[in-house]
Amino acid sequence: MNTLQSIVASVWDQVDMVLGWQPGYDPLHPVPAFVRDPKDIASLIWNPLCAPNLSVYLAKSFKAPTRGEKKIGILAKGCDSRSLTALIQEGLVDRNRLLIIGLPCPGTVDPDALTSVRTQSGPITDVSFADGMVQLTATDGVERVPLDQVLARRCQRCRHPHPVLYDVLLEEVVPRPVPKDPFAHVKALENQPLEARKAFWLRELERCLRCYACRNACPLCVCQDQCLAESRTPKWVTQKDTVADKFLFHMIHTLHLAGRCTECGECERVCPMKIPIGLLKEKTAHIAMDLWGYESGTDPAAQPPLLSYDASVNGL
Amino acid sequence: MAMKSASFVSSADLSGLLVRLAEKAELWVPAPEDTAPHRVTFRPFQAGMDLDGHRLPVTSPKKLLFPQGEELLRFRTGRSSSEAAMETVLLEESADPRPTIVFGCRPCDARGFVVFDRAFLQGPFVDPYYKARRDKNLVVSMVCPGPDAACFCGAVGSHPADTQGSDVQMIPVSEGYVLHALTEKGQELVRHLENAPSQAQEQEARHVWESARRSVENVVSLMDSAPHFRKRFADAAFWRLHTERCLSCGVCTFLCPTCYCFTITDETDGVQGQRLRSWDACMFHHFTQEASGHNPRPTKAERFRNRVGHKFSYFAEKHGHPACCGCGRCLRHCPVAMDIRAIVRAMGETEDVHA
Amino acid sequence: MAVIRDIVQETPTIRTFRLAWKDPAISANFSFQPGQVGQISVFGVGESTFVINSPPTRREYLQFSVMRTGEVTRALHQLNVGDTVGVRAPLGNSFPYTTMKGRDILFIGGGIGMAPLRTLLLTMIDNRADFGDITVIYGARSPEDLCYRYEFDAWRAAGVNLVLTVDREFPGWTERVGFVPTILAEEAPNPYNRVAITCGPPIMIKFVLAGLKELGYEDEQIYTTLERRMKCGIGLCGRCNIGGTYVCVDGPVFSGTALRAMPPEL
Repeated sequence: MNTLQSIVASVWDQVDMVLGWQPGYDPLHPVPAFVRDPKDIASLIWNPLCAPNLSVYLAKSFKAPTRGEKKIGILAKGCDSRSLTALIQEGLVDRNRLLIIGLPCPGTVDPDALTSVRTQSGPITDVSFADGMVQLTATDGVERVPLDQVLARRCQRCRHPHPVLYDVLLEEVVPRPVPKDPFAHVKALENQPLEARKAFWLRELERCLRCYACRNACPLCVCQDQCLAESRTPKWVTQKDTVADKFLFHMIHTLHLAGRCTECGECERVCPMKIPIGLLKEKTAHIAMDLWGYESGTDPAAQPPLLSYDASVNGL
Repeated sequence: MAMKSASFVSSADLSGLLVRLAEKAELWVPAPEDTAPHRVTFRPFQAGMDLDGHRLPVTSPKKLLFPQGEELLRFRTGRSSSEAAMETVLLEESADPRPTIVFGCRPCDARGFVVFDRAFLQGPFVDPYYKARRDKNLVVSMVCPGPDAACFCGAVGSHPADTQGSDVQMIPVSEGYVLHALTEKGQELVRHLENAPSQAQEQEARHVWESARRSVENVVSLMDSAPHFRKRFADAAFWRLHTERCLSCGVCTFLCPTCYCFTITDETDGVQGQRLRSWDACMFHHFTQEASGHNPRPTKAERFRNRVGHKFSYFAEKHGHPACCGCGRCLRHCPVAMDIRAIVRAMGETEDVHA
Repeated sequence: MAVIRDIVQETPTIRTFRLAWKDPAISANFSFQPGQVGQISVFGVGESTFVINSPPTRREYLQFSVMRTGEVTRALHQLNVGDTVGVRAPLGNSFPYTTMKGRDILFIGGGIGMAPLRTLLLTMIDNRADFGDITVIYGARSPEDLCYRYEFDAWRAAGVNLVLTVDREFPGWTERVGFVPTILAEEAPNPYNRVAITCGPPIMIKFVLAGLKELGYEDEQIYTTLERRMKCGIGLCGRCNIGGTYVCVDGPVFSGTALRAMPPEL
């Protein structure tokens, strides 16, 4: 039987380090871990609270492949494996440098949803998962809630809970079923009249702080240190605290990700103001599927349509 | 006759009080966002708004005194027809700020203003924009029930019933709130409230206050971290290790009640323009990027080190307390739960200092 | 507000601007000490910090030397005589001029680093009797990268021991050849009762400081000026700090002793 620890131990001699998750400051917040010492393998965990997409570190921190170094092991849920694939497609990461430990995923928990569904109110001391249920142990009692009730929005619409690219697989969990209409949230918004949609975005984006967490958490935003949104020469966006500038930043960000975004949902997860900015990128992903039958991050050999020029391609 | 310094407001009367206060000043309260009810933020009060006293607000109230975008001056630039030379005219400066009240923030948020005051009012230069707002500002804080897993006010010399930075302190009791005036400005507000608390209410308030204060009694202090920081500064491996998962975004800085870094940019619209002060973060790559291409803090390791150093060493030594109120926002809302408490503790923990 | 009265093209990338205050009252009352800086505004583009390059002893105009590097300096280089700029001055600290009186002086400058040194040098030249030997070691990549070439004769005439150097041989160049730290080691000015002031690119400063130590100079005898990206210039925006020291208000002049107390974040 495969366990996380046994799988990592089995590939240990092929890697310099393993990127995974470790417990954080409380049971609800596992954090990215960079394991270089075999005795730290024991601290790795995998459960539906392991939300951060670890591939964000690859193109921004471990860029250049160095001769003589071993591989980098990385734990990847379905969405994370799509990000890895997209990075490989764009030549930002060398496939041969990765040892991907695939994790079929039941979905990740939205901590806000968990807080609102609880009936107990004491501090949570332990969280465990079994049979599709989340068991919360708090100072004032134990309760169980269905995982389906507290899933993050990105997981509710996930089309790839099973990793698309991997070297070894941890088959501990049954991946959640693919939804019938993965773009239902986008369509619900699109079916509203133009004025209502405009009002929706102006209201949501008003809360934006321009903290750039969404940008920095995106595995594909490798130009974050020279970002167009902060450029002064030329200047595209001002520093003014207006919804117009925030709107412009998000439009630029979305367009830069069009045809590239793998819908991992990290942008929406990390936003401190809970703005559903994933919707914007989902729309562009939908357009890519519609126009070119293209799904980013599913085939490492595929050429992203907006990064190629071929006059014979239709729909451009 | 003793100056009245305590009063009582029942839960039912609270919204009426807020409406009255909002008539004379811009009143900011912690309230849930309409479309994101789990996100409580500080916003201008509108009739019908419910204060949220249970959930910790995501944002701090610093925006009220330190707006995210603030015009410093306006100008018009052009060529004078006679000399064809580039001429700039400075236009009239912005209007006088309105009186403001922060109502219902926690003691940690109020303490944030103490740090701002030190930075903007007590240095070699006074910030006139901040001063003008601060002079007309009143802070009414609410005693906090106690810490959550991310809070650490107890570690930075404070506690959930701290009065520092507040003009009035509200203590929730079973029937409403007991209000204590702490400053002259606070007396002004309390004087106009009709009801005085009964003895039973005062007793309950004292109990709530004590209980809140004691809830952080056994927390390990981070107050004397400056010597550890100095010794640890050059240990590059330490900083690389502890900041490895940081994404170098600005969440911690922008949500922090004590962070005050800003940038100044000229924003033009044709020939007219404004010189704008806006929030900036030492966590961003561009923060210390020089025109020559040199950057003294090129990676997140150096930048996070500076964040820790500023809060727990440089500012702390100059002013006697860290530039940190322990509210925990930096930890609670960080995309990867960077834990500044753990890093500060670790600075003093091991003896090894690597190169 | 100030008007540009004169522009001197020092090198292909450095221009010196001579400004006059628009308001005569400011002109009459303005005072500063060598080492202090000013923030110059090109409204619509931004503001940057430059050392006040003219000495307080010569008040006909306020001089700043600007190397074209980024957004604001590019905009400044596009201005002409007669154009208006904003000036916030004086800011920062100054050289401890009075403690240098009665001593020998050594200036070591590289490229645009000569700008702050010139201010102090001219103040000393204008009070020549208060100082002993004044030696200036000034180097640049090539002869055309040296600033203030038109003043060298005047400095020598005022009794300054001027040692000029460029990185390699150039046709027609008759002065020294070699990097500034090398020339410093060759000249080896005696540290006894001497103050050394250096300014230039960070790499040059690093080697010069080491070279001065080798020659026997103590921390208290050495001064330099530091640079950082600046915005407010008045110690509020939190940007230009090295440790707890803000370069804008606690600097730009720092003694070797002060440098040693700072964390190594140069």
